[in-house]
Amino acid sequence: MKNSMSRRQFILAAGALAGSAVLAGCGGSSTSSSSASTDSSSASTSSSDDSYTLVKDGTLTVVAELGFAPFEYMDDKTGDPEGFDVDVIKAVADKMGLQCEYLPNQKFDTLVPLIKQGGKADVSIAAITITDVREESVDFSEPYLDSNQAIVALKGSAETRETLNDASKQVVCQGGTTGDDWITEKLPNATRVPVDDVTAALTGVQTGLYNAMVVDLPVAKYMLTNSFSDLEIVEEIATGEQYGIAVSKDNPNLTKAINKALEDIKSDGTMDSIETKWFGSTI
Amino acid sequence: MSINDATARPNEDGGTGVIGAMDTRLTWEGTVGDNEQVSSITLSLPEGATFDHSSTRITVLDGLNRTSIEGTATSADNSMSVQFSEDIPAGSLVRLEVTGMQFPAEGGDYVVSGSYTTADGQSHALDDSAAITVIANTPLQAAVSWLDAQPWVAAWNSNPFLGMFFKPQLLLASFASLFPGWLVCLGIVLICYPFAIVLGLAFAMLKTSRHKVLRAIAICYINLLRGTPLFLQIYIMFFGLPMVGINIDNNVLGVIVMAVNSSAYLAEIFRAGIQSIPQGQYEAAASLGMNGFQTMTSIILPQTVRRVIPTVTSDFITSYKDTSLLSSVGVMELMMFSKNLTTTSGNITPYMAAAIYYLIVTLPLIKVVGIIENNIARSERGGGPRPKRRAAADASDEVATAEQDLASSATVFHAEASKPAGDVFAALSAPFVSHPTVDLGGVADGE
Repeated sequence: MKNSMSRRQFILAAGALAGSAVLAGCGGSSTSSSSASTDSSSASTSSSDDSYTLVKDGTLTVVAELGFAPFEYMDDKTGDPEGFDVDVIKAVADKMGLQCEYLPNQKFDTLVPLIKQGGKADVSIAAITITDVREESVDFSEPYLDSNQAIVALKGSAETRETLNDASKQVVCQGGTTGDDWITEKLPNATRVPVDDVTAALTGVQTGLYNAMVVDLPVAKYMLTNSFSDLEIVEEIATGEQYGIAVSKDNPNLTKAINKALEDIKSDGTMDSIETKWFGSTI
Repeated sequence: MSINDATARPNEDGGTGVIGAMDTRLTWEGTVGDNEQVSSITLSLPEGATFDHSSTRITVLDGLNRTSIEGTATSADNSMSVQFSEDIPAGSLVRLEVTGMQFPAEGGDYVVSGSYTTADGQSHALDDSAAITVIANTPLQAAVSWLDAQPWVAAWNSNPFLGMFFKPQLLLASFASLFPGWLVCLGIVLICYPFAIVLGLAFAMLKTSRHKVLRAIAICYINLLRGTPLFLQIYIMFFGLPMVGINIDNNVLGVIVMAVNSSAYLAEIFRAGIQSIPQGQYEAAASLGMNGFQTMTSIILPQTVRRVIPTVTSDFITSYKDTSLLSSVGVMELMMFSKNLTTTSGNITPYMAAAIYYLIVTLPLIKVVGIIENNIARSERGGGPRPKRRAAADASDEVATAEQDLASSATVFHAEASKPAGDVFAALSAPFVSHPTVDLGGVADGE
């Protein structure tokens, strides 16, 4: 009897806790969104028409897929996000007078829908190529970096774009990336295998599970130098695609503010130093 | 100037085909020749294609580096042209991505032809591209287009939640394109389960064995597999085996991993089932002069099977759902297909379609588990079926008997059993209902 009483009490207490947490969450978010709008309007230097809303007051909340070195990855020891994109968005937030905060790691293919839905993150910067399809869902900042694609295969495998376009070949990519689109359109006969993260894909290529991977060229270069020395880039695909920062369509003034901040960090040399830090030279 | 490539983005919902008379994106790529500079390019398609309302993204590359040459695109019917802001230097790569264009409705193979103007004002013809295969509209696509045009669909989709989770067009397309994935899921779990049952039974025997070594082997096997996530086991098998030179087809390997994983859970279920048989049954068997093997096969196991059926069915449901984890290593099953579709559509609806595909199988099974459990519980209360009445028994007699019976569920069963169809039902369900049962104790940990 005593036992069952204490269990019931526990459930009651847990329920009460959960309930109050939910209530607090609702209250918190509603107040913060209203105060954020007023606060950011006062923070922005120009007229009140330029005001934008933020999920969290005074903070630029960023979401990314943190497995895309050198653009964004988790530091081995601290678990903090690091990389080119991280430095860029920190510099941008700095120019806007905001703190920069990363949400926990999210799968790449959920980033654009998440920004479109709004409410969780303000922006996503994750080597996202500006494409027409994505522009239907979200707004993009001005491009901050040019990129290309690459086909990665085992050293000495003699795979090419032509040999891969065959029903017997499995070509892996990260789901939802432009590499994914590229395989669909340019290698229609190959079996396209989208997976969640680049490391799993490259490991698969290494072990022979997949014949090749299509991935952004800078990432391929970085990963092959740092961890996958038995793979090689068999073809560089000149796509000239451009990365942009994804912002909700409901928040056009935030896009404007980010564009202005991007311009600022380009003109004051911050961008050059970030590029030098990550790629050894300006691009 | 030479053409490298001309392709169209597949616009079939959930498929890989290029459908005529529906918006798609044409990607045309060419290289400027050695001794020329290009100031404009015109692309044309056969009659019936349209570039109206299209928009063009222009990319000019020098090697891998983007050059900041822009252009203005104009389109008219089945041709479009781009006038560049400055002449494109020799050796550059030019890519035109024309979004919102349409191929002719009837389908077929189409080549992109056209011309270009060099800096000195001369016009040259472009080589024809390789043919782009376009298919005519499919019935599914026609249905989707029909839905597109309905006002109620538009109203439904204007609600952000409904539009994001239950978009009717996408739901329809998802059902069609997820079907092969569903078959793979079912195939994997149906093939793996018999193996899992045999393996599980073997390890249950080992675990109840009198020999220490055999027990130790079984305990190691069961605890290792039950103590680690299936996800981890999948990764170890899919990435580990190829590293030691063992290459197995993805689907086969999926079956193996699922079978091995389930076998550990089943072993525990069977072990609990065997140990739940009262000691008296062993003694009775011994008094009939049966040896250990005979006792097991003709006395203990038949009773065990009856008792573990609900738990085994639950485990089957779990295994079926767990096949979704195989999507992370490239097995083309249900989750993989829905994930693909979600990434291309930016919409959650394909996941909802996948949920429905899972529920189609799991809900009836859950119902079956419930029915069997009820029957076992009823037979425990002593409410199981009575010995069959004479076939000649007339209906009124039957009703009278039924009215006397207090347990209403038993009444239904009883009345049913008197009909000819009911006989079959009674015969089929007899193993599940007639036996006295004790509490199964630790069996529920089969989850």
